[in-house]
Amino acid sequence: MLELKKFWWMIKKELISLKRHPVRLVSIIAFPIIMILLFGYGMGGEMTDLPILVVSQSHGNLTDLTLDTIKDTETYHVVEIIDDVDDGKQRVESGEVKAAIILPADYDEDSSQQKSVTLYLDSSDQMASQILESSTQSIFYRLSNMVASQTSVSTKNADIEPSVLHSLNNFKDDVSLHINRIYGNIKYIDFLVPAVLGMTIMFSCMMGMGATIAGERETGELARLFMTPTSVSTVIGGKIAAKLLIELFRALILILMAIILFNVSIKGGILQTFIVLVIGALCFVSFGIFFSARTSTQEDYAQIVMPFSMPMMFVSGVFYPIETMPWILQKLAYIFPLTYLNDAMRGVMLKGQSLGDVWFDLVILIGFALLFFIIGVKRFNRDV
Amino acid sequence: MKNAIETQNLTKVYNNNFTAVNSLDLEIPEKTIFGMLGPNGAGKTTTIKMLTCLIQPTSGHATVGGYDVTKNPDEVRNLLGMVPQQVSLYKDLTVMENSQLCADYYGIPADERDSRIEDLMELVDIKYARDKRVGQLSGGQKQKASLVASLVHGPEILFLDEPTIGLDPTTKRTLWDLIRELNDDGRTIILCSHDMHEVDMLCDNVGIINTGNLVAYDTPQGLKDTLLEENKRELTETLSQIHAENDEERLAELENISLRKMSFLLQEFDESVVSSIEKNEKVKDIEIARNGRVNLKIDAFDDSVVHEVLNDVMSSGGKIKSIFTEEPSLEDVFIKATAEVDEDARA
Repeated sequence: MLELKKFWWMIKKELISLKRHPVRLVSIIAFPIIMILLFGYGMGGEMTDLPILVVSQSHGNLTDLTLDTIKDTETYHVVEIIDDVDDGKQRVESGEVKAAIILPADYDEDSSQQKSVTLYLDSSDQMASQILESSTQSIFYRLSNMVASQTSVSTKNADIEPSVLHSLNNFKDDVSLHINRIYGNIKYIDFLVPAVLGMTIMFSCMMGMGATIAGERETGELARLFMTPTSVSTVIGGKIAAKLLIELFRALILILMAIILFNVSIKGGILQTFIVLVIGALCFVSFGIFFSARTSTQEDYAQIVMPFSMPMMFVSGVFYPIETMPWILQKLAYIFPLTYLNDAMRGVMLKGQSLGDVWFDLVILIGFALLFFIIGVKRFNRDV
Repeated sequence: MKNAIETQNLTKVYNNNFTAVNSLDLEIPEKTIFGMLGPNGAGKTTTIKMLTCLIQPTSGHATVGGYDVTKNPDEVRNLLGMVPQQVSLYKDLTVMENSQLCADYYGIPADERDSRIEDLMELVDIKYARDKRVGQLSGGQKQKASLVASLVHGPEILFLDEPTIGLDPTTKRTLWDLIRELNDDGRTIILCSHDMHEVDMLCDNVGIINTGNLVAYDTPQGLKDTLLEENKRELTETLSQIHAENDEERLAELENISLRKMSFLLQEFDESVVSSIEKNEKVKDIEIARNGRVNLKIDAFDDSVVHEVLNDVMSSGGKIKSIFTEEPSLEDVFIKATAEVDEDARA
């Protein structure tokens, strides 16, 4: 009963502080929104409206159809349609546009001869050039099917001389490929959001614990609590309870923002996602306690935590699947709790798995939480 | 009289092999005000941390109110109150909320809690700010709020670490009165302070700690008397030996005497003696009384002045008939006590 009262005081203190400092409340709400906006729009969006030129040297139905198709494709922003090939190439080289689609002079002539369309591409912009190449290929693949004529696209890299030229000839649907997406059409943003939620919780838990333990050690409030007949685990437990409450609130905002801003579908349901996030938060709060057990200032704490939190962010599969990383990083990923949180979050949000399906990740996270808490309390220094 | 605090061979060696407290034996009688003095880094804070169960001693024993600090830390914590130098209340909470938090952490029954706090606020005179946030209080108000939070569980022993540092003279006096009042109520108070006037005025006993050891322990007057006697004896003995043996070399023995005021009478008054002393920059003020007694005010922080002045007197042919010094201050006692050990440590 007495210990509960002490727990409650830590929560009450946090709530009173928030009530009296609305700015802090705003930052609690703003942080997850900024994170999700930054990663969602900054990294999860698709590339559209890339500036290009079309060099058209012929007139006719096929040309009109081709131009309309190109104009209707979101990837492109057609700056101008011109007829001078050299001018087109020069404008790509000057960087004014990302590419020029050059239709040959015989494009509209009805002949059985193969027609060679050239994509003159600024390959210095790797991301844009990949997207332009694949969408141009797919346009002409579709067109050639429609007109049942032989069209080919060749790509010339503007910056490399002599240009690499490769043609994709004879598009024919000899082989038909059926794609069966077992989890539906998942975009990069869908892949990213669950991990961004996990990562945001990780950062705010770890940084927050620094402020609450190392910061209060520095300013002496912790010493006053430790001078009372109270065990270390009660004091720390109270701190965890208070921090967790704030994180729950933050997690809720994160989930809502993901739904509102990116229309992210949560296949496993909000409640399950929330529970996974809470278990993740518990793990990272304990992680924070482990590190703040002996640090005497907030600055020391930040210095100690950085070398763990930053690699964790990159290695634990937030931005890229773990399997695509070098083997050493893959091995490293499995000792970071964020990896398991990301896995569980994606399982629940993308695959619609239940908590029972991701039990392994959750057990590991709870295990980490207990381990860090016990070591943290054992190592904890009452000294100020 | 029973002791509130007792330590035997109390030692703390930190991980880096630094011995902060070295075999400290200390007894603080209950219901007294004890002044704990010592230069920075002397081991006072470490001693307090061991007594308040924040850190464990490396060896030796310490009891607080009869309880061993290592075996019964919770009993010790219940007996102790601590007002730290840096006010450690939550800035966003009000005085009342902070006190309630402390009371709940000490397990004060809910029905007693608020009335106890109100009474203490009345005693400390901070009731008018009960609903103000600690972060909005002035330095003196913060100290008072800190006192309320530290007294809420009715501790028998109260540690005060530099309680009046940075406070204006009026607030200082109010706090001094309060400390006396708390002591009159039967509490033992351990006061750590660098304000010698404060310690001199408030404390029943003073202990000076240096390099982890207790180097002086007595009442403030006792400490001053001892130093006065020591100075007088040393001066007169050395002078009579110099006159008897005509051996001016012995003056070197006075090199470590530090006085702020001294006066001497020459066998035959000689103006040239006075002018030779005037040349010494460390001599602040020279006054010649009608009977020929020369009164000097000197820089107390320079050990060599007494020796230099007497050397000047003798080398200009003066013969000292008698020499006097007035009662030293507690500050003189402190400087003398900590300087000696400093030299021992260096040796």
